[in-house]
Amino acid sequence: MADPSAAADAPSDDPADGADGPDGDRMAALTSFFRERPRLRTLAIAGPPYGVLLLFFAIPLLAMLVVSFQTGEIGGPWTLSNYTNFLGSSTYLTVVWKTLVISVQVTAIVSVVGYALAYSIVRFSRRTTLLLLLVILPFWTSYIIRMYAWINILQSDGVLDSTLNMLGLPAVSLLYSAPAVLIGFTYVWLPLAVLPFYASLTNLDGDLIEASKDLGAGPIRTFVSVTLPMTVNGVITGLILVFIPTFGSFITPRLLGGTNNIMIGMVIENQFKSAFNWPFGAAIGMVISVVVVALLILGTRLGGGLFAAGGEEA
Amino acid sequence: MSLLRVHGLTKEFGDLTAVDDVSFDIEDGEFVSILGPSGSGKSTVLRMVAGFEAPTRGEIDLDGTEIVGSPPFDRDVNMVFQDLALFPHLTVAENIGYGLKQSGVPDAERRERTERMLEMVRLEGYGDRNPAELSGGEQQRVALARALVNEPALVLFDEPLSSLDRKLRQHMQTELQRIQTETDTTFLYVTHDQEVALAVSDRLVVLNEGRIQQVGTVENLYESPESKFVADFIGDVNAVEGRVTAVADDGVTVDSGGDSVVLPPEVAGDVSVGDAVDVCVRPFRVRVAGGERTTERDGEFSTTGVVRSRSYQGSDSLYGVETDSWGRLSAEIRDGSFDIGDAVTVAWDAADVHVYPRRESPAAETEGA
Repeated sequence: MADPSAAADAPSDDPADGADGPDGDRMAALTSFFRERPRLRTLAIAGPPYGVLLLFFAIPLLAMLVVSFQTGEIGGPWTLSNYTNFLGSSTYLTVVWKTLVISVQVTAIVSVVGYALAYSIVRFSRRTTLLLLLVILPFWTSYIIRMYAWINILQSDGVLDSTLNMLGLPAVSLLYSAPAVLIGFTYVWLPLAVLPFYASLTNLDGDLIEASKDLGAGPIRTFVSVTLPMTVNGVITGLILVFIPTFGSFITPRLLGGTNNIMIGMVIENQFKSAFNWPFGAAIGMVISVVVVALLILGTRLGGGLFAAGGEEA
Repeated sequence: MSLLRVHGLTKEFGDLTAVDDVSFDIEDGEFVSILGPSGSGKSTVLRMVAGFEAPTRGEIDLDGTEIVGSPPFDRDVNMVFQDLALFPHLTVAENIGYGLKQSGVPDAERRERTERMLEMVRLEGYGDRNPAELSGGEQQRVALARALVNEPALVLFDEPLSSLDRKLRQHMQTELQRIQTETDTTFLYVTHDQEVALAVSDRLVVLNEGRIQQVGTVENLYESPESKFVADFIGDVNAVEGRVTAVADDGVTVDSGGDSVVLPPEVAGDVSVGDAVDVCVRPFRVRVAGGERTTERDGEFSTTGVVRSRSYQGSDSLYGVETDSWGRLSAEIRDGSFDIGDAVTVAWDAADVHVYPRRESPAAETEGA
């Protein structure tokens, strides 16, 4: 694709191509066909991904929107009751609030731990590739299996408790508690945050750090006024990658949080899979999507404003 | 009392000695350049003065205080980086004011001093721009202002001009000199570019393979280089290999290709019969005349040859002459009338040459080590 004209000229110029003559001719015909029709070429390249997006994202979203305004069953009369029921119920709103709190906590923990991890990989280690591989390694095992491993570790008389026991410490039996949910999420999302953090930190020019120190800034001030602002795009990417999936999760809180740590994703799942109230589930889904998108916009605005022009060169 | 005193400075990276027992002083208000080819250790010296590298051995005194061991942010020096290292997320004014902010200078004073610096480097009104919007030359000025605004005892330069084109580089050289005089600051400039170093410096420290070759004023290094390396590195030189055949009170005879030259003893230096030497003469000291070899004046040496190349250098022409006994010599003269293939006589005054004992080649040295 790099040079279509060269490809088109090749068969006539290069006698070696004569061996697969018909093939070469067909390729030449194809390239010249597309070269003369730039719009068709754009469509041929961009069409399939847009088609996939339309089919599996835009249309389902639209369907969900339609369903959320219907009563009882799909195809019923139009109504706003799904929205009023949800927004008028303090029980559901409490769940949303709790979900938000957990998501913010998880995002904060993962950012701090992930940034420290990425920073130490970039600045203090020579075995960068190996360490990154170790960070990504958990992805090779199924999510569910890893969650069951955590159940094993956290449950009463599990690996954690028996270890504490051996050390003469009291058992904590963390399973089915808020800390268990935080531990599970932190574990699952850490690699997701480390990768963008790592990418932005490797792009950071070491001369800038030296320049800052040369101009009288100590290590902490250099971190706050150069390192962090210069990597803000990677940080925001990492935050988004952690915050969004946490807000919508239902497996981790169900497996590790028990019945006291209900998140909104579990409520939505329940509406679709057990209560069979699809319109209500769709309405909650729509509200949550709007809330998350609003938070995202707010977050990027805030991040961009805090560190004006932070590494945003074209 | 010197402002900067570097004594016995040595830096080893594993088995490699990057800087080997380097000592030199810089007086207050001087413009000193460290000149050397790439890999000579000059940047390492600079980074040790700035505090980015710790010396293996040796002392660095700034204003009478030993600074080895203190971190870069506690040293009264500021550096202009090779790639400038301007903060892309800050405006020009914020870049310049960065150091003042770190040292707790109040806002109003910071703004005023930044403004004054922008004037000094002739960038009035550029304060609110982003560094990326500026041209290469303007970015250089910002980097310079960012270092100078802190009024450090010493400003370090790590070849910041090397990325500029020739014209702009020459302009920035004169700007550097103007600013150095106006601010009365001491500059230590590192470069591999002898043209820059000769143009701007009061004194030069010539470094090769981690060792100091010679320290002196520009004239001093150019007129009396102490080694073939310095003669070759500072300006161009013809170096002819010869052998000492006679040493007498009134002259030393050096032979090359069956043709001998008698040199005054003060030029030849301390040599004995049988020594292999390099006889060096600057191209602009070489004269070219047409036709047959003329009788030599006293103290003049001449040989015949054929013009093999010529290049026009503006006011002068540079000829490459293949001589019968002294190899290929370059001559830089006014007369542009000789053509390639012309038979000519080349001549120079015996007093204008430098003679250096031939060192073992570096390759042989490493094999021996």
